[in-house]
Amino acid sequence: MIGPRDTIGEALPDARTAARGEARGLLRLRSRTKKHLRTDERVALWASRVVIILFLAAVLFPALWVVGTSFQGGLLFNSTNIIPTSFTLQHYRDLFANTSFLTWVRNSVIVCTSVGVVTVLLVATMAYAFSRFRFAGRKYGLMFLLLVQMFPAQMSFIAFYYLLIQIHLIDTLQGLILVLIGGQLPFNAWLFKGYIDSLPKDLEEAAYVDGATKLQAYIRVILPLTRPMMAVVFIFVWFGMYSEFLVSSWLLNSQGNFTMPLGLYGFINNQFLNNWTEFAAAAVLGTIPLMIVFLMAQRFLVAGLARGAVKG
Amino acid sequence: MAATSPPISAPSPGVASVAGKPRRRRILDGLYPYGYIAPSIAFMAIASFFPIVFTVYISLTNYGQGHIISFDFVGLKNYVDIFTNFSFLRDFVDVFIFTIMFAAISTALCFAGGLVLAYLLNNENMWERNLYRTLLIIPWALPGTIAILAWQGIFADLFGLADTVLTHYLHLPDVFFLGDAVWARVVVFIVNFWLGYPFMMTACLGALQSVSPEVMQAAEIDGANAWQKFSRVTFPLLRAATLPLVISTFAFNLNNFGIVYFLTNGGPPIPGSSYAGSTDILATYTYKLALTARLYGLACAYGVLIFFIIGTLSSINMKLSGAFEEVD
Repeated sequence: MIGPRDTIGEALPDARTAARGEARGLLRLRSRTKKHLRTDERVALWASRVVIILFLAAVLFPALWVVGTSFQGGLLFNSTNIIPTSFTLQHYRDLFANTSFLTWVRNSVIVCTSVGVVTVLLVATMAYAFSRFRFAGRKYGLMFLLLVQMFPAQMSFIAFYYLLIQIHLIDTLQGLILVLIGGQLPFNAWLFKGYIDSLPKDLEEAAYVDGATKLQAYIRVILPLTRPMMAVVFIFVWFGMYSEFLVSSWLLNSQGNFTMPLGLYGFINNQFLNNWTEFAAAAVLGTIPLMIVFLMAQRFLVAGLARGAVKG
Repeated sequence: MAATSPPISAPSPGVASVAGKPRRRRILDGLYPYGYIAPSIAFMAIASFFPIVFTVYISLTNYGQGHIISFDFVGLKNYVDIFTNFSFLRDFVDVFIFTIMFAAISTALCFAGGLVLAYLLNNENMWERNLYRTLLIIPWALPGTIAILAWQGIFADLFGLADTVLTHYLHLPDVFFLGDAVWARVVVFIVNFWLGYPFMMTACLGALQSVSPEVMQAAEIDGANAWQKFSRVTFPLLRAATLPLVISTFAFNLNNFGIVYFLTNGGPPIPGSSYAGSTDILATYTYKLALTARLYGLACAYGVLIFFIIGTLSSINMKLSGAFEEVD
């Protein structure tokens, strides 16, 4: 899905350096617009364009085909065309008439938002302690956060199932949210700690001089400054949870509690062919809004990941 | 991190020196940081510590098919079984080899693809490069589960895009992509490349943009051609920045459950094997053992083994990249 995001920060160079590089690039571009390119530069430029455009076509075509079939009229079975030949909204009408699509959307929004909000609050608090205080177990705690992530998550379901039966939260969204939050903390705590490390300590010292308590310095001075990082963590957790299937599929049984991935998985259980067009319609509606948000926020997200990993 | 910015010693507003504080106050100050961590620890206890301990415990029992209501402690029997029982061992070897192959090839493909694209995009003369970059990131921007399920349709028999192109446009014989042992593996590689290259591209682009233009100009003045500039200057600089990323992508792919589960569910089955399929990786094989075979004890033993394999790889990664050098 999002790829091994638990590592992007390590390798991304400082966002500021990148920004500087880009600014330098822009300046050059401006000075060059009037200048003619050398022949070899021109050849390299056009060759690059051709390669990129061909690659883009290959990458995006399957996605466009899915969008296309969601509007395709008539029978898809044995169709000989890859470009839609007729247009219909029937599959979208079927989706709303025959399935609980809106319930899936609602449940997914509830789960993703709850996990996101709680994760941001917990991580902002924990990361502050790891960044600013010295205490016994700090170094091992940080290592432990990394180690815990290596545990194969697909094995957790037996334990989760057992636990939620004991506390009578099986097959509820609350139970699902409860067990999902903890898994989001380790990676994001590292990210957030990196961000707080990059804030000057003079800020708190100035607050102490003005008579603030430790708690006041944290809540009034540091927390407001971490808002960009909070947004980054929230968005990544939201996206991650939107794709969560394994744990949900074990803990949720009633149709009314299904989240988006569970609902969509139902289409392919059997007779994928008959369900394909409806699945395509659901996939289009279920991905486009997220895609737009992600693409609009991409610079911000990537810079946030890089900023969180700033070393020294 | 911490080396250059040591944590502030506990501030003592209004009190001249820490030593002057009453004893109770000092103890409270010592406990203060734990107050910030405690809520998170509570949630992690539910989501991480408990499942880990539980899994290790179950791996030492015969819990599962035939022993659901009452089960016994069997010591290391499950671990011994994995390595001595012939049919388990054969499955394990098959699946393990494909797991390593899958992780290595996927990571190499994504890195190579991401690097080439980043290199092409990092061209100041290409004024529309931001548009390309945004479009190229799209696979990363789509929710993974839904995207992988859609790929299953693309490679589906009879109506899928791949089949239609093959038979109606290229007039080649029909291929049962997800039902053929070799093709199913190819499909898994293709889809994992599709999902994974944008991340690598973004990382490489960041690394490339931080290579100072002065270095490139110096190489140019020394008469280096394009290939020499790439292989002797850019790539060595890039390798240092991206090595940890490549290793951890490899570790991630070793346990990349979703891609296999949603695309092929491990299938098609390997002839003669009870549970293993041609595209099964350890993660999906283990899940099948638990879900279909209901051999919870054995599945948990596999889970613990995977934990060790990935943990070892990641420790090597941390050593290599020096992630902990500055944490004191």
